[in-house]
Amino acid sequence: MTPGLTRYVDVASRFQARDTATTPAWLQRVRQEGLAHFARLGLPTTRDEAWKYTNLAPIADGAFVPSATAGSTAELAAVVARLALPGPRLVFVDGRLSPELSSVAGLPRGLTLKPLRDALVEDGAFLEAELGQRALAAEHAFTALNAALLEDGAVLRLAPGALSEVPVQLVFLTRGDAPVLASPRILVVAGEGSEATLVETYASATGGGSGQGFTNAVTEVTLGDNASLKHYRLQAEGDAAVHVGGLHVRQGRDSRFVSHTFAFGGVLARNEVHVTFAGEGGDATLNGLYVGRGTQHLDQRTALDHAVPRCTSRELYKGVLDDRARGTFHGLVKVRQDAQRTDSRQQNRNLLLSEHAQADTRPQLEILADDVKCAHGAVVGRLDAQALFYLRSRGIPRAEAERLLTYAFARELVDAVPEGPVRASVEGLLAPKLPGAPRTEVTA
Amino acid sequence: MALLSVRNLHARVGDKDILKGIDLEVGAGEVHAIMGPNGSGKSTLASVLAGRDAYEVTKGEVLLDGKPLLELAPEARAAEGVFLAFQYPVEIPGVGNLHFLRTALNAQRRVKGLEELDAMDFLQMAKEKSKLVQLDAAFMNRSVNEGFSGGEKKRNEIFQMAVLEPRLAILDETDSGLDIDALRTVAGGVNGLRSPQRAMVVITHYQRLLDYIVPDKVHVMAGGRIIRSGGRELALELEEKGYGWLGLQDGKGAATKGGEARR
Repeated sequence: MTPGLTRYVDVASRFQARDTATTPAWLQRVRQEGLAHFARLGLPTTRDEAWKYTNLAPIADGAFVPSATAGSTAELAAVVARLALPGPRLVFVDGRLSPELSSVAGLPRGLTLKPLRDALVEDGAFLEAELGQRALAAEHAFTALNAALLEDGAVLRLAPGALSEVPVQLVFLTRGDAPVLASPRILVVAGEGSEATLVETYASATGGGSGQGFTNAVTEVTLGDNASLKHYRLQAEGDAAVHVGGLHVRQGRDSRFVSHTFAFGGVLARNEVHVTFAGEGGDATLNGLYVGRGTQHLDQRTALDHAVPRCTSRELYKGVLDDRARGTFHGLVKVRQDAQRTDSRQQNRNLLLSEHAQADTRPQLEILADDVKCAHGAVVGRLDAQALFYLRSRGIPRAEAERLLTYAFARELVDAVPEGPVRASVEGLLAPKLPGAPRTEVTA
Repeated sequence: MALLSVRNLHARVGDKDILKGIDLEVGAGEVHAIMGPNGSGKSTLASVLAGRDAYEVTKGEVLLDGKPLLELAPEARAAEGVFLAFQYPVEIPGVGNLHFLRTALNAQRRVKGLEELDAMDFLQMAKEKSKLVQLDAAFMNRSVNEGFSGGEKKRNEIFQMAVLEPRLAILDETDSGLDIDALRTVAGGVNGLRSPQRAMVVITHYQRLLDYIVPDKVHVMAGGRIIRSGGRELALELEEKGYGWLGLQDGKGAATKGGEARR
């Protein structure tokens, strides 16, 4: 075992040794299996195909430990007020639920939103059946580590036919004053014909401070037949934070899933989206925008598994990289032999703003069926010199023209957010990264 | 003092000399047409005046109101009052036409020490100016030139000129690709912007445009030099006899084409 791995195994072992008398046997088993898988898989290295572009030294070398409590201060309340969307929300500080900052008032009928720590006690049979079904600890080291430390997070259940107009929000704040390891697990089970919007917001509790901390989040989503979920991941911690997020989705027949990943924060951030079509007629849209500067390393990984016929997937990821930042995109579209009439399109576009910024893009198609429509493309480029001259020739100074063009490149993904409050939240988190971005425009 | 003085201007791209000694004086209130066959250097002259960095000026000087222009960045030239109506206006997806233009106007106003216009005041002014070229409000809200037809792009150029109120307007083949109705609209817009305080340099391949924008002076360029200057009658003569009359080859043989549109 490497020293890094040993440290994490020790941390998880100590965590599991607490309160063994009061912990249900099934939960002890889930955690122990998670730890065993993690110890066996080890921390990935750049020799692993799936981690080729990403050096995990900030994780391997860090001494992160779980926090004991969340706490609630006036300062935290102010940060939550700034980030909160209208609607029900759960708030976590350093990975721990803060009941004082949470509010589930206004939860629409048919929706159940529970802190995971409550659900582990109250809904044992349900969780035992559902946890770990989409995100497999046996195959993914960070999922395994998350399982080993399972305690906080959220469970969102949608009754068949339940409709929610307001987004449900989960806010994860990192205080940044200690090297905290947060391991939230989010479970979404959407009944037949239900519709909802879930927003996960990851931010610094010091409001833009650098803030160390390691968040290792896992979200599992099961969509019933004809169900619909819009999922937002606003990943915007401070520039010293480390983030690994895994979103694992299984779509039933005729279900619709839209994912928006906004990766703005962290010195190292990996955002994964895995979607499996398990029923015909499913439709998935994966949107992503990553904006890095300084020495940020932002790693996007997507995998779409067209396991059944007649499903549609659309994917657009854009990266904006300045200074010495590095962005990576690895998108796999797998079309299995039976998945006839699959319709899939994938695009990755990267804009480099400095000589030293870097983008690695790796679109990957694996097609075993013969009657399919699949397209993909990848671009790494710089600001258009013609457009830059055009703007400057009208009197716009170079730096301002560059900012205008940069925002123009990124905004396609901001504009793809239909909900006004969510879009405003994205704009608010993006503004410090892309200064000069217009927030609102007066129209004729 | 002339508003624009171009003196012995030489410029090249890479190691290819394109402008080989241009002399041109344009006074306030004047409209000068520059004609010439393809490859004569007309558009290069326009680009050099606006500050496109693909061109290297090797000799000569350009004065705007007596101040040297060539050492200024494109945005500084714009603030001094230089405006280039592009032959091929650039499409800029994601940048709203009005936001772009307000940003440009306010950047120029900042340089001049004037207060910036807020969105409402600007909108009112822009709506007023858009009437000059009959540019629909829908175009003003779209991304800059994105999905515009050729005619819409050229009208948008003149609309921008109307908003920015330049001291020197350079129109680079503003007539190219326009049908006769669009040409009339664009020319009407340009004529509406003629003013005793403003100079215009109208670059065109075809005499047709000069039926609608009547110049005070006509210059013919060839091989990177102005080889002939005269009054409006020079353009008419050129139309009648073709560029061959001046001993010039023209790929398009186009000077006479404009005649079809003449009334």
